[in-house]
Amino acid sequence: MAKILGGIGTSHVPTIGGAYDRNKQNDPDWTPLFRGYEPVKAWLSQRKPDVLVFFYNDHATTFFFDHYPTFALGVGAEYAIADEGVGPRAVPPLQGHAGLARHMADALVNDEFDISVFQDLPIDHGVHSPLTMFWPPSPGWPGKIVPIEINVLQHPIPTPARCWKLGQAVRRAVLSYPEDLKVVIVGTGGLSHQMNGERAGFNNEKWDRKFLDLIARDPKKLVAMRHADYIRLGGTEGAEEIMWLAMRGALSPRARKIHQSYYLPMTTAMAVALFEEPQAKAGFKPR
Amino acid sequence: MNPQLKGVEKLEGTYLFDIAASAKALRLNRFLHGFTVPGNRALFREDPEAAFDKAGLSPEERRMVRELDWAALIRYGASFFCLEKLGRVKGVSNPEMVAGFRGESLEEFLKTRNVPGAR
Repeated sequence: MAKILGGIGTSHVPTIGGAYDRNKQNDPDWTPLFRGYEPVKAWLSQRKPDVLVFFYNDHATTFFFDHYPTFALGVGAEYAIADEGVGPRAVPPLQGHAGLARHMADALVNDEFDISVFQDLPIDHGVHSPLTMFWPPSPGWPGKIVPIEINVLQHPIPTPARCWKLGQAVRRAVLSYPEDLKVVIVGTGGLSHQMNGERAGFNNEKWDRKFLDLIARDPKKLVAMRHADYIRLGGTEGAEEIMWLAMRGALSPRARKIHQSYYLPMTTAMAVALFEEPQAKAGFKPR
Repeated sequence: MNPQLKGVEKLEGTYLFDIAASAKALRLNRFLHGFTVPGNRALFREDPEAAFDKAGLSPEERRMVRELDWAALIRYGASFFCLEKLGRVKGVSNPEMVAGFRGESLEEFLKTRNVPGAR
């Protein structure tokens, strides 16, 4: 049976992928970002998951507002890197685990989570901007993904509580897959930032650090909050944090946060947190 | 009114993108989203007025795009994530767009940041 090894919460601002693409590891402005991902990269190379299930948001790239899906599950075997206005990034197409994804579609719909599905659509930086930091291609990707898109662009967006429940349903779906797969759940987005109006550039490090604490220790407090709270505390795009809630909802209550990093250089607070399920422990020591 | 959003209206300088904004700016956002296709970018670079004609943009929409009036575009209902594609086509970075939203120059905005070189 498939098992869940742990979870990753990470920002997905495009400059993370840009720093990777431009080899900024030794640029002092970017070194802290790379360092923050190193323990996650090490954990993944030791645990060797077969599949990363991604809760992410599209940025009006794959989907447009003529029909913007609230939740959409990728069920394809390959996803091109999307062109976001300057041509696609020079990384290979993402490999999808169609078998697991099809099973998840069946499981979710029969669990009364009526998700839409998509096949071979191109995927934007919501997935692959952080991916190259912790699961880089060499030259092929180390494994496969299952993408789950969540609308955080056009209100009404799903509630924090609904995203938590989606995570729980995804957990049931993954754990009921008969093949022996090792799966890690990823939630991307946030932390505090706002990309519109005179309030643009808003950040709140105090709130970000509280969020990083609560997501591990007391996620139900975050689930009970409204979008207005997230927007007041973390800016309009801070609402992306609901994708971390979906990730956390897909983990067991016994999952522990074993690493986190926080870096706020410009307009978006760049954070990463690594969660491990107890059964997966085999002597990994985060730095 | 969406009960999840009650209180957001009190936040100054915040323009929430909802179905109403989306409906108002659908034609403009569709034009901006079109920059994900190389042919649309080429047409816009070679002959912006022809690209505006093809998209059926209004005189006001054309002016805002022509002048890269970021603050006005957001107030009008453009999605930031569609504007981001215009930014890429025009070689304008996100910090520069954010400065525009705030009514600041890029230099002024960068002074408020922790690591101004991280662009």
